[in-house]
Amino acid sequence: MLRTEDLGYWYQDKDQPLFQNINLEFETGQSYAILGHSGTGKTTFLSLIAGLDKPREGDIFLDDRSLKKIGLTNFRRHDVAIVFQAYNLFTYMSPLNNLLTAMAITGASHAGDKGYAQRILNDLGIGDDLITRNVQQLSGGQQQRVAIARTMCCDARLVVADEPTGNLDEDNTQAVIAQFQRIAHEQKKCVIIVTHEPDVAAQCDHQYRLENKQFVQLA
Amino acid sequence: MNFFKRAWLNVWAKKGRSVLLILVSSAILMFVLAGLLIRSAAVKAMETAKNDAGATMTLSANRQAAFKKMQSSSSSSSSKSSRPKLTLTPVKLSDATKIAKLSNIKSYNVISSTTANAKSYDTVSTSTGMGGNSGGPGGMKATGSSSGDTQIDGVTSTALTTAFANSQSKLTKGRGITAADKGTNHVVIEKDLASQNNLTVGDTMTVKETTGSKSTVKVKVVGIYKASSTSAASAGPMSTDPANTIYASYTLANTIKGSKYAGTADSVTFNVKNPAQVSATKKAGNQLISSKYALSTDDASYQSIKSSMNNVEGFANKIVWLVAIAGTIILALIVILMIRERRFEIGVLLSLGEARWKIVAQFFTEMLMVIVIALAIAGVGGKFVGNQLGSQLVSQSTTTQTTSSGSTGQPGGSGQPGGSGGSGMRGGAGGPGSTTTNRAKTQNPNLEISVSAVDLAELGGFGLAITFLSIMIASGGILRLEPKKVLIS
Ligand SMILES: Nc1ncnc2c1ncn2[C@@H]1O[C@H](COP(=O)(O)OP(=O)(O)OP(=O)(O)O)[C@@H](O)[C@H]1O
Ligand SMILES: [Mg+2]
Repeated sequence: MLRTEDLGYWYQDKDQPLFQNINLEFETGQSYAILGHSGTGKTTFLSLIAGLDKPREGDIFLDDRSLKKIGLTNFRRHDVAIVFQAYNLFTYMSPLNNLLTAMAITGASHAGDKGYAQRILNDLGIGDDLITRNVQQLSGGQQQRVAIARTMCCDARLVVADEPTGNLDEDNTQAVIAQFQRIAHEQKKCVIIVTHEPDVAAQCDHQYRLENKQFVQLA
Repeated sequence: MNFFKRAWLNVWAKKGRSVLLILVSSAILMFVLAGLLIRSAAVKAMETAKNDAGATMTLSANRQAAFKKMQSSSSSSSSKSSRPKLTLTPVKLSDATKIAKLSNIKSYNVISSTTANAKSYDTVSTSTGMGGNSGGPGGMKATGSSSGDTQIDGVTSTALTTAFANSQSKLTKGRGITAADKGTNHVVIEKDLASQNNLTVGDTMTVKETTGSKSTVKVKVVGIYKASSTSAASAGPMSTDPANTIYASYTLANTIKGSKYAGTADSVTFNVKNPAQVSATKKAGNQLISSKYALSTDDASYQSIKSSMNNVEGFANKIVWLVAIAGTIILALIVILMIRERRFEIGVLLSLGEARWKIVAQFFTEMLMVIVIALAIAGVGGKFVGNQLGSQLVSQSTTTQTTSSGSTGQPGGSGQPGGSGGSGMRGGAGGPGSTTTNRAKTQNPNLEISVSAVDLAELGGFGLAITFLSIMIASGGILRLEPKKVLIS
């Protein structure tokens, strides 16, 4: 579904690229983990496939259509859902309104369907007593689950997450990873997670490590 | 629209911040409104002052033309012994009525002055220096001189004269001369003259003509006035004591002057309705009269009020713009800080694929909600601020006003026999009787501060413009913001 072609990126000068000549393919219904040492460029790579930045070299294709052609804003709105380590939510809204707002902006098929958003939140353990509260009154784990619920209620087939469990304890980490697996397997989406934790990576269907400017698939 | 809902959720969820924004915006708008109120009040006061201050136009003999004629006759004349005389043609009343029909003329006053000699009474003599050789009251009168000891000012209405309009002379008993006294022998005499001769309203007295048959004329006292000391200055050095001035209808003055003066006047003063159009009226009037006559205008009082009101208006305009600009800058800075603080939210919106203009629209809507409430608060508070500022400004402008009217207020009609108080007559005259109050208003232009729908609409316009501009200035940040930099660090 998503394919990179000779992808390359560098910040200051061409002599020190973070990665170069990257040719990878990501399929729907599968989950992918990206591991690597700090500062190797995992987040940078993710920002490219999430349409938050333009590649320096090469191109990214969604179903054989170049992201340049689709347009980054358009791509972000319709084709990708992003979960960050923090600051995912609108702080002045309830969990329910966070979902409804995302559905409205992306023009999701369930846009305006409160019951649908509520079911997804309940499914992720955000009870009815929490869904109309301000999100700032929720714990970090709960907030991260709301962010995941947001990716589930939108139609985007690509879900990318940058260290989504970085701030979570063991129980919450397990719950979040289980959710990502359900998104991949039940919703038939393509999930790409950047993580430091080998345990988290092990639960994904595929694992890649970014080292020496290349992505290496782990056995 | 989704951004509208977001704006509402944000304003509602962050009540404390919203209240602060409302307070700041109210303060800015209150000052804008105060400026707007003063400006519209200045415009209104200007309209009123225009009518109250008025301007006058005087019809009199064309001295310049007469002088030229005299010069040409003297150069053509071979005999140098006989000096040519400057002959001034009296104004024809038929011309005056033609001019009075012009649409911009409110009222007019016919002035015809002459002198007569006292017959049945004694004139008041001035007890200073030169009074000594005059040989007492009545001593040297009627010895061929054409100048008598009693000044007779014939007018249409005393209320329309400079002395009465300026309150230099005041009625103490009876009534003044009005248009209804035309053709009668009614007179208004000075208090000192009345008490010296034991005369009161209803009494009669006789005067003797100084020219022609020198017959006596019986007049009836209908009113007594008191001349203030300042009016003595206008009488000129040649005149007798100002107490010897008798007001009568101009017809009586004409009778005493002689039969050939019937239907004439020394001058006619017209009160103009709209002083701004005085020159156009003068032009129209000049086409109705021959070149033997001249129309002169006096709108000094109007001009001085106009300039002082223009000052107030200009000042108010400056306040409006200064406050609007300062307000825009202040609000823009606040919005810039607000947007910096909200960059994570903007980043999430951008990562969801929200259009940047819709994010700007959300901030604009939020500010609009704040501004609408601030407008209501400013509408109430602005009246208070405007009142304070308004009265401050009025007391300031009244001072300038009084000074300038003081310097222009001297009657200037010297030269013509008995013509004092003619052409120098200046504004302030309304209908008979209302003159004094009108003048009072003129000298204290009152800025009426009231919030009208127009003011509020204009304030709304300024509020919108300030909001729009400050959001535009601040949105540069939103448009440049990169979601990657915000969310991935
Ligand atoms: N905006 C930037 N300008 C210049 N250099 C940058 C910028 N952002 C990141 N870098 C550099 O690029 C390299 C890759 O950064 P990146 O955030 O992609 O690493 P990462 O693999 O996500 O690391 P971590 O595991 O610590 O999150 C780092 O050395 C970083 O210092
Ligand atoms: Mg990173």
